[in-house]
Amino acid sequence: MTVKIKPRPEGRTRRMGESEDVEIPEPQYAWMGKSHQWGTRVKAGDKGLTLGSLNVGHYAEVPEFWEDQTRMPRGSVAGSAVVPPIGYSVRHKSGLWADCAGDLYEEAIQRRWVPTTDLDWSSVEPLDDAVERAMCQLCTELIQCANVEMESIASWQEELSYGFHEVKQFLATVTFDDARHMDAFRKRALANGGGLGVESKGILNRMILESRGGWTETVAVMFLQRGLLTQTIYKHGVGFAHNAAEREMFSRSMQDKARHLTYAVEHLKYAVNHNEGQGPILNQVLTIGEGMLIAELKDPALRESLMILLAGSLEAAPSAGKAAFEGLMGDYLRQYAALTDWIGVSRDDGLPPDLARYLEA
Amino acid sequence: MAEFPSVDWFHAVRSVFNEHDEYHGAGGGACDTRFGVVVEDDVYALTMAGLRCVDAVSISADELPQLDFYLLMSHGDWRVMLENIRDNGRAALDQTLNTIDLDREEGLAHSAAEDQYKQDLFFRYNQTLQHFFDASSRVETSFSDSD
Repeated sequence: MTVKIKPRPEGRTRRMGESEDVEIPEPQYAWMGKSHQWGTRVKAGDKGLTLGSLNVGHYAEVPEFWEDQTRMPRGSVAGSAVVPPIGYSVRHKSGLWADCAGDLYEEAIQRRWVPTTDLDWSSVEPLDDAVERAMCQLCTELIQCANVEMESIASWQEELSYGFHEVKQFLATVTFDDARHMDAFRKRALANGGGLGVESKGILNRMILESRGGWTETVAVMFLQRGLLTQTIYKHGVGFAHNAAEREMFSRSMQDKARHLTYAVEHLKYAVNHNEGQGPILNQVLTIGEGMLIAELKDPALRESLMILLAGSLEAAPSAGKAAFEGLMGDYLRQYAALTDWIGVSRDDGLPPDLARYLEA
Repeated sequence: MAEFPSVDWFHAVRSVFNEHDEYHGAGGGACDTRFGVVVEDDVYALTMAGLRCVDAVSISADELPQLDFYLLMSHGDWRVMLENIRDNGRAALDQTLNTIDLDREEGLAHSAAEDQYKQDLFFRYNQTLQHFFDASSRVETSFSDSD
């Protein structure tokens, strides 16, 4: 079968191979010279050639609303061809932006780590049976949380306008962080004679996965409510680690989570300050999330495994472990209260009693 | 021998930290912050840039709001932490910056600027900060008689 291309005047066509019927146009290079800002020459600074440093002149113009409905890179020249719109639902800057996103992207790339080789797996030694079971149960739940975050971000990516590419790139690193955390905790669960435990009911996880109301609302529940609790567990994990591998696993994961939380806090503050009515919406979303969290905490698997780990033994779990678990929840909720204050959606008077009681712990 | 706390001591630790690749590996890496170390009335500002600690100077308490965050403990508590690092080559689990921050009612990391973004840097760079203090295990240290 041959392909016929519309004939062109002599000199503007050339023939391909042996076929007399296939003609392709002579190159015109019409695309050359089309640029909003040619001659840009960004120099590497002390920190190298960073993503943020590329925001110069025309390329630094981050619009309040991203008009384009294709995947046009910010700063490029719109194509002349008619491209069917590929709808984004998040097109307002206030719906996803955080000024620090570009820096956080660089930080995530530079501070990456590899569970396979960066953790000293040879340091893992047999533990008391109940403690091993508790650690494996905790790992199981942390894997679930990381997976939910990864899936949620991946599903939102196509909704976030390409014009705000710094945010999209940073979120890509978050999904990779999540994959790394899944990797690390799975390895820990399977490296010491134990295995994975029971699946969490995942009430809050389900809310995160099914949250389609807006990216900002998802950020509030996923990073601020759930992510902060995960980070608090990581922080305490550094304290109850039994070996070098666990210590590094928790401390490096904690550091990754701090980046996620920084994006969340900066974005939520930006959204509240730039989007009238966002504050009350967030307050409502957080109220719903707190209810889900209370329901989830009734599932004994996470609570009891943490009690054993924090106490160091099954025997001490009901007394010292319970007190330590309440202390962990207190740390979480005090930080939650501080962050919501900073964002401008104070929960001081709105925390349900079942959570507020931990503030005294 | 360098006495803690002093600018000389921080410079000695800075040299060890900058020279040893093991302090800049996985999970560590580039770090950009100017943070404080407060040892009762003595206040020091340390500047981290990329993989290096580039400066350590003595400042007044009035300058704390210009820093991203600062670490505050009594002379005695700093001594316990640094002696633990010296004895183990790195901080034991109950003497890491993170654990001390959790265990102390008043915390360890503070921000005079009351800026959440700056306070969060303590956790974002936690591994690097830990590596910095762990590097003190290689510095022969004496302690002033404050306690």
